[in-house]
Amino acid sequence: MAERNLDSVKKIREAVSQDLLGGRISQVLGWEKGHYWWQSRPLFARSEADLEKLTWDSFCVINLSRYLLEELKDHEKVGVLVKGCDARAFNRLLQDNMVKREQVILYGLPCPGMLDYNRLCEEAGAVPDGIVENNGTVVLKTDGGEKEVQREDIMLDKCRECVYPDPAAYDQMLLSPQGEREAAERFKPVEELEELPADERFAYWEKELSRCLRCYACRQACPFCSCRECFVEQENPRWQGRAYQPSENFMFHLVRAYHGTGRCIDCGECERSCPVDIPLQELNRKLIKDINELYGDYEAGLDAEAEPPLLTYRPDDPAAFSEK
Amino acid sequence: MSAALNDNTAGWEPLIVSFCCNWCSYAGGDLAGTSRMTYPANVKVIRVPCSGRINPMFVLRAFQRGADGVLVAGCHPGDCHYTSGNYQSRRRLSAFKRLVEFAGFEPERFEVRWISSSEGDKFAEEMTEMTEKIKALGPNGKMRDARWQSVI
Amino acid sequence: MKKIIAREKLPELWKSLSELGPLFLPVQEGPVVLFQPWQEGAETNLDTTNTAVPPKDLFLPREETYMQYRCKGKELEVIPAEEVKPAVLFGVHPCDLYAVEMLDKVYMEQDPPDELYKKRRENTTIVALSCASPDPFCFCNDFDVNPAEAPGTDVMAQLKNGSVLLEAKTDKGKALLEQAGDLLEDGSGEEFARREVKTADFNLKLDGLPEDLKNRFEDPVWDELFKSCLGCGVCTYVCPTCYCFDVEDFGHEAGGERFRCWDSCMYGHFTEMAGGHNPRPGRKERVRQRFMHKLRYYPETFGQIACVGCGRCLRSCPVNLDIVQAIQALGGETVEQR
Repeated sequence: MAERNLDSVKKIREAVSQDLLGGRISQVLGWEKGHYWWQSRPLFARSEADLEKLTWDSFCVINLSRYLLEELKDHEKVGVLVKGCDARAFNRLLQDNMVKREQVILYGLPCPGMLDYNRLCEEAGAVPDGIVENNGTVVLKTDGGEKEVQREDIMLDKCRECVYPDPAAYDQMLLSPQGEREAAERFKPVEELEELPADERFAYWEKELSRCLRCYACRQACPFCSCRECFVEQENPRWQGRAYQPSENFMFHLVRAYHGTGRCIDCGECERSCPVDIPLQELNRKLIKDINELYGDYEAGLDAEAEPPLLTYRPDDPAAFSEK
Repeated sequence: MSAALNDNTAGWEPLIVSFCCNWCSYAGGDLAGTSRMTYPANVKVIRVPCSGRINPMFVLRAFQRGADGVLVAGCHPGDCHYTSGNYQSRRRLSAFKRLVEFAGFEPERFEVRWISSSEGDKFAEEMTEMTEKIKALGPNGKMRDARWQSVI
Repeated sequence: MKKIIAREKLPELWKSLSELGPLFLPVQEGPVVLFQPWQEGAETNLDTTNTAVPPKDLFLPREETYMQYRCKGKELEVIPAEEVKPAVLFGVHPCDLYAVEMLDKVYMEQDPPDELYKKRRENTTIVALSCASPDPFCFCNDFDVNPAEAPGTDVMAQLKNGSVLLEAKTDKGKALLEQAGDLLEDGSGEEFARREVKTADFNLKLDGLPEDLKNRFEDPVWDELFKSCLGCGVCTYVCPTCYCFDVEDFGHEAGGERFRCWDSCMYGHFTEMAGGHNPRPGRKERVRQRFMHKLRYYPETFGQIACVGCGRCLRSCPVNLDIVQAIQALGGETVEQR
């Protein structure tokens, strides 16, 4: 762990402990280390001792805003550490009326992008014993020695393609902003698929979706999937059959993605959570891309006041049907 | 819907499910009927209060259970009897149409048309055109639940 | 009986075995490795540590038909489930095989046994592959599993200097090796390399844990542990010792089927009653159930903890809430205070 990070952790602890110990909030949602140095897991801090465990490193990937749905049932007011995507997730929940702004204190953490365990191993040729972060580079330490790599090269895909690493909503910004990142080519895989003949595209999705275990991790990790009852669980009518038929796979994944039209913040938690690596973001991004093309650029979660595109219309809207 | 399932073998005829808005398109269909205009019997009409009522899951469910094409018909934009239902559905179904195409459906499989209650002729034309297009395209196997196929 | 074959000749072996029935082995499926039926040109991967999903679906398929019915007028035809074909499971690691033996206790060693499971199990010949290089998530040493050996297998295999050494352990295994004929060379002079394979060892305190948990249904540990759980079913579906299913009907008046499919205790509807009451209404109750099942209920019935340390929950849980964390929380602090 680099010095820089220790300073940041200290700063964060100081800021949140003031509010927590001062009684402004009764809980802070942050991260603590898991079993491994490359894993950080959610921390629900309610005491000074809990705050000792608080961490901020390159593995704090888990989106904490989603926990507000549950935590606000038990707490009047909580604090949350938010990266760029966490803050957009918060705005998403706010727009869906799932949380109240005054119940939450947001501590903004500009995000340098989170690292990908699999990439670390690939680059190092083995599981590294640890890493040292420098400015823009990371030194991977293995038995065989050290290897310095570009940080960008070992980041999670979703972070490499992130445009807004700085929190769009916060009460206190705790670290210095990263600045907007260059618009990555996040629609490229979508465009490549669009080029394929329909049958090939269908075959592609049939194969990818055939791995689906119906574990619903994509849904549970998702900040737009905040419905109290999901269509999947509805009994009457029963939209989603439990069978692992290709047809049922399409039903789930098309409807899941479609429910995020104009609402998906493109945080990529769905794809990261998938245990069988289905490229779910391609579906989400197809919808983001089309909405942008048809109804003007819109980035969900950036501005809680901006009207989501499917909640509004213009009389002269274009349509995607052959009859305009 | 299950009763209308088609047989994929000999003498195949396409099954088109058409969701029609009560106020315009369904009335347009009535006018086509009372005016003795003909359109193919392949089209099965399901009446809905408004094109804004169309949940995209209706469309997917139709494909699962044997539809070869789905046509949503509503009032012309500006004429919605609930003021904005079809403006809303225009956005929603545009995004949805692109999504089902992205999933691998041919563009012809899912269409949206605006047909007013005075357009009996247009109703008959659109239904005929849709049926012809789907006939040319052939049966739809995509998203079709094999278990439904086997019980018929 | 010992046989040996060069690694580059394996596809020939697989081809010949797959002609007799489906041959399941670790195959690269896009970004993940899964047990899949072998086909010409399949990108097999014997070097992977653990497949993303365990091979339990060979015996307990994700979806399995009990029977189908067809109705014409007043005539009702009931079509029983398809006959199970003999299959081969190649390259399963010892941890996964230990887990299969735990499922056997649930499905086969009962009266009456589960016929579908039993048929699939008895019709499958297992070739276990000793595990040479566990990945960092593996912790089977904690459960006294030796990743190099799998006592319950039909054939034991080991990758050795560009060859695969195979030894039949049962009659079924012997028959399988005989079926392969000349493709396999005599390996009677070869010895299995003795390996002491070290996995991660969390030094878990497992002795007495099942007993200890008897009085800890209301333990405050549960009030905290569940908090990070998202309520998805990853842990149960990637767990080789989870075995719950649900029975469903599909169809209409002209025909349909009754089938079973995987289900997860992490889902709200898992325990929901017809009247709407749910005895496990929230994530706390469900997380407690899952870990209690692994650590107390299963051991109470079958005498061992239902975990083999395969590490899949450590690897796949989106929020890093896994059985090690649970055992540590349950055994690390509270036990010592008593």
